[in-house]
Amino acid sequence: MGIKVVCASVIGKSNNPLYIRCFDNTEEPLKFHYIVHSALDVVEEKSTAKKGASLDLYLGMLYPTEDYRVYGYTTNSKIKFIIVVQEDGDSHDQAIKNFFRKFHVLYANTVANPFYTPDDLITSRKFNEELEKQVKTV
Amino acid sequence: MAQKGARPYDRIGEQVFAKVDKINAELFTLTYGSIVTQLVKDYEDLGEVNTQLEKMGYNIGVRLIEEFLARSNVGRCADFTETAEVVAKVGFKMFLGITANVTDWDAEKKEFSLVLDDNPLTEFVELPESYNKLWYANILCGVIRGALEMVQMKVEATYVKCVLHGHDVSEIRVLLKEILTDEIPASMRDE
Repeated sequence: MGIKVVCASVIGKSNNPLYIRCFDNTEEPLKFHYIVHSALDVVEEKSTAKKGASLDLYLGMLYPTEDYRVYGYTTNSKIKFIIVVQEDGDSHDQAIKNFFRKFHVLYANTVANPFYTPDDLITSRKFNEELEKQVKTV
Repeated sequence: MAQKGARPYDRIGEQVFAKVDKINAELFTLTYGSIVTQLVKDYEDLGEVNTQLEKMGYNIGVRLIEEFLARSNVGRCADFTETAEVVAKVGFKMFLGITANVTDWDAEKKEFSLVLDDNPLTEFVELPESYNKLWYANILCGVIRGALEMVQMKVEATYVKCVLHGHDVSEIRVLLKEILTDEIPASMRDE
C-alpha cells in the first residue's frame, strides 16, 4: 500500500497552528513545520479560487516536495487539516479522504470537551493517542 | 448473589425507559459541560464547585423523585438493599439511560457502592491536569441525596472513583444516615 503519514496538523482560523505532530523520527520537525506553513498559501489559493463556497471539503494534493506530498482538508469553520505523507507509487486518494474524515471526527470530539476552548492549542491526550492509532492504520 | 426481586428491576427499568421522552445525548453532555466550566470560572475553588454541584443535584433530586414515582409505579421498598437496586436499575436507567451496579455492601447493610461503567455526562470530557479535586459528575450525588430524602431516607452520597481521574469505572458511595419519620426536610423548614 505504501502510504505513511509523517506529519499531521490542525490549523486554526487565522492560520495559527493548533496542533502539529510529526511521526517520522528521522527528520527534523522544523522541516515539517515549514512544509505545512508553505502549504497554507496553497490552501488560501484553492479556497478563494472557486466562485462562492467550494463544495468539497477535501482540497486534494496541495503540492509535492522531493519525497513527500502534502494534502489539505478544510472545514466550514475555517479549520484546516494538513497532512504530509510519504508515498511510493500512485496516490491513494480514497485512503487519504478516509483519513481526513476520521481526523475531522476526532477533532469534533476533542472540541466537545467543555474544558477546551476553540482556537486553543490542542493538548488532549486522547486526541494524541487516537491520532497515533489512526496514522498506524491508514 | 441473586436476590429475590433483583431481576424484575432490570425489566422495569427498561420498560420505563422506553416510555419516557428522550433528548439528544450530545446536547445534554454539552449543556452539563458548560454548567461545570461556568461554575469553575465563577468559584475558582474546586472544592466549592463540588459543593455547588451537589446542591444543584439536591434540588433536582427532590423534584425528580415525584416524576420517578409517578412513571415507574414501583411500590414501597422493603429495605435499604431494595432501595439500592431500584435506584441503580430503574432510576439511573430512566433518567440517564444507563444501569448502575450495586456492590460492596457493608456488614450492617447501611452502605453500598454504585458502580457506573459509562456516564453520558462525561462523554468527550477530559479534565485538565490541575483539576484533580473536581468530581465532575458530582451533581449525581446530590440527585441521589435529594430524591431519597423525599422518601424518608437521609443519605450521604460521595464520589470515590471517576473515569475522568483515570479509574476504569466511576463509583459513588452511598451511606444511610437515618430513616426519617414524618419530618419536614431541612430545606423546606428554613423557608
